[in-house]
Amino acid sequence: MKKLPLFLLASLLFVFNSSAQEVSFEEYDLSNGLHVILHQDNTAPIVVTSIAYHVGAKDEDPERTGFAHFFEHLLFEGTKNIGRGEWDKIVSSKGGKNNATTNDDRTYYYEVFPSNALETGLWLESERLLHPVIEQVGVDTQNEVVKEEKRLRVDNRPYGNLLAEIKKNLFIEHPYRWSTIGSMDHLDAATLDEFIAFNNKFYIPNNAALIIAGDIDIPSTKKMIQDYFGPIAKGAKIERSFLKEKPITQEFKATAYDSNIQIPAIVACYRTPSFTTRDARVLDMISTYLSNGNSSKLYKKLVDDKKMALAVQAVNLSQEDYGIYALFALPLGETTLDTLVKEFDEEIQKLQTELISEKDHQKLLNQFENQFVNSNATLEGIAASLANYYLLYGDTNLINTEIDLYRSITREEIRDIAKKYLGSNQRLLLEYLPKTENQ
Amino acid sequence: MKKSILLLFLLITCAITAQLDRSEEPKIGPIPEINLGVPQTFKLDNGLQVIVVENHKLPRVSYTLAIDNPPYVEGEIAGVSQLTGSLLGKGSTNIDKDTYNEEVDYMGASINFSSSGASASGLSKYADRILELLADAALNPNFTAEELEKERNILLDAIKSGEKSVATAARRVESALAYGVNHPYGEFVTQESVKQVTLENVASNYRNYFVPKNAYLAIIGDVDFEKTKEKVTELFQLWRKASPPVITLAKPKNVQYTQINFVDMPNAVQSEIAVQNVIDLKMGDEDYFPSLLANNILGGGMRSYLNASLREDKGYTYGARSSIGADKYASRFRAGASVRNVVTDSSVTVFLNQLKRIRNEKVDAEEIEISKAEYVGEFVMALEKPETIARYALNILTEDLPEDFYTTYLEKINAVTAEQIQEAAQKFIALNNFRIVVTGKGSEVAENLEKIPFNGKDIPVKYFDKHANATEKPDYNAKIPEGVTANDVINKYINALGGKEKLEGVQSYALIAEAEMQGMKLNLELKKTAKNQLMQDVKVMGNSMSKQVLDGDMGYMIMQGQRKDLGEEELKKAKEESAPFPELNYLNNNLVLEGVETIEGKKAYKLRITDEKSIFYDMESGLKLQEVNTTEMQGQKMQQTLIYDDYKEVSGIQFPFKLTQSMGPQSMEFLVQEIKVNEGVSDADFE
Repeated sequence: MKKLPLFLLASLLFVFNSSAQEVSFEEYDLSNGLHVILHQDNTAPIVVTSIAYHVGAKDEDPERTGFAHFFEHLLFEGTKNIGRGEWDKIVSSKGGKNNATTNDDRTYYYEVFPSNALETGLWLESERLLHPVIEQVGVDTQNEVVKEEKRLRVDNRPYGNLLAEIKKNLFIEHPYRWSTIGSMDHLDAATLDEFIAFNNKFYIPNNAALIIAGDIDIPSTKKMIQDYFGPIAKGAKIERSFLKEKPITQEFKATAYDSNIQIPAIVACYRTPSFTTRDARVLDMISTYLSNGNSSKLYKKLVDDKKMALAVQAVNLSQEDYGIYALFALPLGETTLDTLVKEFDEEIQKLQTELISEKDHQKLLNQFENQFVNSNATLEGIAASLANYYLLYGDTNLINTEIDLYRSITREEIRDIAKKYLGSNQRLLLEYLPKTENQ
Repeated sequence: MKKSILLLFLLITCAITAQLDRSEEPKIGPIPEINLGVPQTFKLDNGLQVIVVENHKLPRVSYTLAIDNPPYVEGEIAGVSQLTGSLLGKGSTNIDKDTYNEEVDYMGASINFSSSGASASGLSKYADRILELLADAALNPNFTAEELEKERNILLDAIKSGEKSVATAARRVESALAYGVNHPYGEFVTQESVKQVTLENVASNYRNYFVPKNAYLAIIGDVDFEKTKEKVTELFQLWRKASPPVITLAKPKNVQYTQINFVDMPNAVQSEIAVQNVIDLKMGDEDYFPSLLANNILGGGMRSYLNASLREDKGYTYGARSSIGADKYASRFRAGASVRNVVTDSSVTVFLNQLKRIRNEKVDAEEIEISKAEYVGEFVMALEKPETIARYALNILTEDLPEDFYTTYLEKINAVTAEQIQEAAQKFIALNNFRIVVTGKGSEVAENLEKIPFNGKDIPVKYFDKHANATEKPDYNAKIPEGVTANDVINKYINALGGKEKLEGVQSYALIAEAEMQGMKLNLELKKTAKNQLMQDVKVMGNSMSKQVLDGDMGYMIMQGQRKDLGEEELKKAKEESAPFPELNYLNNNLVLEGVETIEGKKAYKLRITDEKSIFYDMESGLKLQEVNTTEMQGQKMQQTLIYDDYKEVSGIQFPFKLTQSMGPQSMEFLVQEIKVNEGVSDADFE
């Protein structure tokens, strides 16, 4: 008789524990369409204020690539009430920090403050949305900055153009075919009116999510949000229709050259589905299995044991509309690129025909669990995840449930998905070679 | 019904207050109080105190075991505690090392040890197992002779590689002089002392000091207090009750009058300056918070007095810092920077002026406000990390602080006044009792250091060696022996290499060398001929990082893929470099024999080749010891030194097989793997 209540207590405790591990949040829309997500966590007096705009490189005019990223710079230039160069000073004098990032799908701006400066963060972000000052002097300044960034991060960096080359070859119709940083010629040719038009089209409350995470009081935060963002006018609905790619049914080759390298690279690239699909998550596991860490299969075989490769990497670069699965290797010594491809094929065929060991499967789950937990370790990480899951996946609660999807992936599924997407007839083989004088 | 009325009411209020004035930056609210969470604690019979902070936000856990023993002197076997720490965690008497490590990896966890504790973290589903492994390795260590030798060698290597480091020597002497070599904070580890440590010393260090009397275990994360208590009790009640040996510490004293303590490092291209004095300050003291702000304003960030003057205004240094320690056993105030040789004495003057300023003048109100904001931001951001929260909970216990010390931290920072800041500065910055420890190149900086006026007379200078022993003032002006000329030095060098005839018979040579930098391999390939040809290629992991090619009157360089043709000036320099033995061209060239200096402990002739280049030749063996090149980068003069070492014979000629290149604090040691004379070089190499 005595045992039953104890058992009940234990199971209650268990329930309590598993639910308490969740990232709690509340979400709603303002009448102008701005989506608001609040995550309260009073453990540390920190607050993150951030806005994700659903605009990325794929939303650009094919003749004006680089606009989305350009805005990430331009919108620090000042607003009607914040003078040029004042943005950073305001942030640091409150003990805060700020930054922004852009990819093909979205642009993300954020500040981290001691929580007493929450209102400062709301003021800054609402100013940026309501009335940024977009004028020639700012455009000219940022044009130089972006060019410097491209030189630093892309042009002068060994293998810096690799992703751009993969995208260019793997996508024919879809706007993922150009790089996020875009074309400097396009930026040079752009007029001030075009920048203003881009702002008016995409930087509207009904195309954005405001995330406030940290040490906040929910009712007063809601009120301040209403005060600062409520009066901002709704924009015209954005229509999106991106062309679909035809499936790849036959292996094809491409070659690219880079003057910064001396060692060629081989990349096997497969076009995979959107990151919202279950299949994309299985591919994430496959890439971890093949190349994450010194005990992973491809690394151990090609780098450690056979000493055929200097480096090897498998990446599943998932995005909103499609993903890119890429196996990348640098040959060592006399090894040819073809040999490396054969070695890739051997491992992939094993994946397609045999089940991975149970121990490896459990280790994978542990790795994913660690990764998942650590991605939620900081408020900055939580705010960025909440923004992504809402804006791009359409389900904010994935911040808590996505790990269950990974947990439920079986060894059989790993085998089947490898078969479904990683056939040698479904890929691009990109040879990325050193540029010599003649090319 | 009720709800909608409420909602309507809310909407109205919103509409009313929506008339906010956005043209003004919002006034920010009061500094928030910190919700650190209330830790739960318990104590085992053996003395171990356990702090548990339940935090279920994430399914992870961290453990920190800290043994807060008073510091002790290790004496002749200094290094024993460090080695004890390194030997902990290599499995246990129950699990061998490999199995232990594999299990930790499989869980995705990490476990680390030191002689005074351990830390571990991982997923909370493995919380029990991680703690079991931690406890097992901590309580049942497996000390083996084999592991001791391995760890001893690692430690010896580390000491050796720091041998020529000016910064390492400076830090060692600074502590030794401040606290005394017979104080635990002043003593240091040497190769000799490390070699003396036996396995029995390690075992007894563990027995004496790895005891629960002053031990704390902080557990933070997704755990349940009751269950954790049960587990900790089960595992750690086996830890035998014991106290560390009782020790009386000597109290460090300041010097009677402000003085310069100079340490000669002839290889120094920068001087390390530390202005310091010992203080008595604990975190619980009244003036702790004023001291934090005084320090932040003096030498905390980029806006500080020290950086504004030394870095921004004068450009003497890349950065200066100060610190006011608060340690319950002994602390010191220290302000320091690395500065260029020629401005060493001027920098000391600037330091003294700024230290006087923070003592004598009240800090500007706006400066205080900004400093507080910076401090608050930094403090607040750090709170997010669980390690910070663990550290705070521990500090309250170990530093004897009031319970609300951290929850009211920001309030206390903000309550500090300009008067309090000045009082703290006057109390802790002992202007008349400074040891100004300068570690640098005596032959270039010592003379001027003896002429720094302070309180009406020159500051006395005392000399020390790099192990903090007092020495005589080194003789920097060793005389050039009567009648010796530059030509004699060059001839002696040529003869030492193998003779003029041998050297002139060299048409070309090829050299392959390897260096390691942060775990990465660097490969150097160098080819030279007697007909103005040079090829130098440095590769990282197989990729060329920089390449320089000279072929007669044509030359280019490639830096990270960008090709650039050499200009006239660069061509001229490259040509000089390209000769297999440039000294053959130095003969009868009226070079200046500047003097005699000590290089790597050897007396050496200094020959001035150009305004930018000097070469040092060993007085005894005649061999080339060092080459110093001065270049200008972004308006700053930089010195680059190349040390030649480990000469070996190839084809009848002596070649250096170790080349150490250093610039600023960085140095790279190239070990030559192969030298070929008159073979392996063709014109195609210089295309």
